Amino acid sequence: MRSQVYEWSNLATATATSTLRRTTDAVPQLVPVNREYDIFIGGIGNNITKPAETTATQFVVIEDIACSAYMGGAVQVRINTTDYFQNPDVTDQSGVPGLASPYPRGSSDVGGALIAVAQVDTVQLLKSFDLYPDIYVLPGQVFQILYSCATALAGAAASNTVVVSAFVKYTLYDGPDALIANKLLELGVTINPNNVDWYKRTLIEQQQRSRVAAVATNGGSA
Amino acid sequence: MRSQIYAWNGQSGTAASSWTNTNTGTAVSIFIGGFGNNITKPAETTATQFVVIEDVAVSPTAFLNSGDAVSTAYRGLVNGAENGVFGNRAYIQVRINTTDYFLDPDNVGNDGIPGAASPYPRSTNFQPCFNLYPDVYVLPGQVFDALVTTYQNGAFDGAGTAPALESSTLYAFMKYTLYDGPDALIANKLLEMGISINPGNVDWYKRTLIQSQTAAPMPTA
Repeated sequence: MRSQVYEWSNLATATATSTLRRTTDAVPQLVPVNREYDIFIGGIGNNITKPAETTATQFVVIEDIACSAYMGGAVQVRINTTDYFQNPDVTDQSGVPGLASPYPRGSSDVGGALIAVAQVDTVQLLKSFDLYPDIYVLPGQVFQILYSCATALAGAAASNTVVVSAFVKYTLYDGPDALIANKLLELGVTINPNNVDWYKRTLIEQQQRSRVAAVATNGGSA
Repeated sequence: MRSQIYAWNGQSGTAASSWTNTNTGTAVSIFIGGFGNNITKPAETTATQFVVIEDVAVSPTAFLNSGDAVSTAYRGLVNGAENGVFGNRAYIQVRINTTDYFLDPDNVGNDGIPGAASPYPRSTNFQPCFNLYPDVYVLPGQVFDALVTTYQNGAFDGAGTAPALESSTLYAFMKYTLYDGPDALIANKLLEMGISINPGNVDWYKRTLIQSQTAAPMPTA
């Protein structure tokens, strides 16, 4: 099992709206308002080669999501075709606002103006959202982290574009750890590294007990 | 067992060994990469050592507006280019032997933890939202490394050699615990047993050994 992160920002080269991995000559790209973009393969900013999905021997637990607090940014989690965050009337919503889970932590909620020059930001935002319980991505499922913004990122000039970013922290369980994660899910036990380790210990203790019992049954000889 | 840290400053040392704009886009070891303060040989564990990496961090980044002119300062960070990125846009990856620890969801190795998620130094302006849990284990005989990559062109213009907190100076940080001698043996045992390796559990295992010895019957004369 391994702790993993993925950081997205709307930065790509001047000639492309998205790039695989990051580049040193990046400039911000426009993100149309009120539309959800997959931070993995959405076609804006840094992307990866294929949709994020788990193989038959992988299990993913999403532990934190965050995005820029300004421009009305929000992040939604989608598993296969189902959005995780929904309104009380079971209608769609944009997900967790950046104001509730800001990335980077301590950043400002002001993003539209030239705040570096004007020095108008006096706020260091803290998170008021904790992703608990975690979100499970079972083997074979596709997961998406969708970013949306409510305010246009372009300012007065064409080059005056706001940089936005999003962040996801997850733990990847693979091989035998994924099997154990599935078993814990069946048992109704929370999937985290501690509980996976606990299950391993239980298995080892069971094996030891059955070995001792077998020795006793055979009159002391193994 | 001993708590250990390694702090790296990419601008320390001579001008020739200071991190500059020409290094952007290249992953460089903080131990033996040839920039900043380095050590004499690759970081590795001997047959009687076990290392648990508990935290990694690198200089922070702020995302703003591409309209800001070059060399504008924001919370101590400078934008080296007119692209709305302030600071170095730095990332730190952990490598064990030849395997990168942090992967993208398509199972391709990525740049690692962003400085925006795990900043060093931390401040009210730049706070962490990443916690290295579970820890990274370096087993006896393995080589480990931390690789820093920056992507912001121009971030190091005029950075100079005098380090200052919250500047475009490139810092990295690693916190780990070194288990050696009998503690390393216990760490291996805990790993076999599927128990997290931390000082508390190593002490627990020692107490268990002592208790089992104490509880053993005294030999008859």
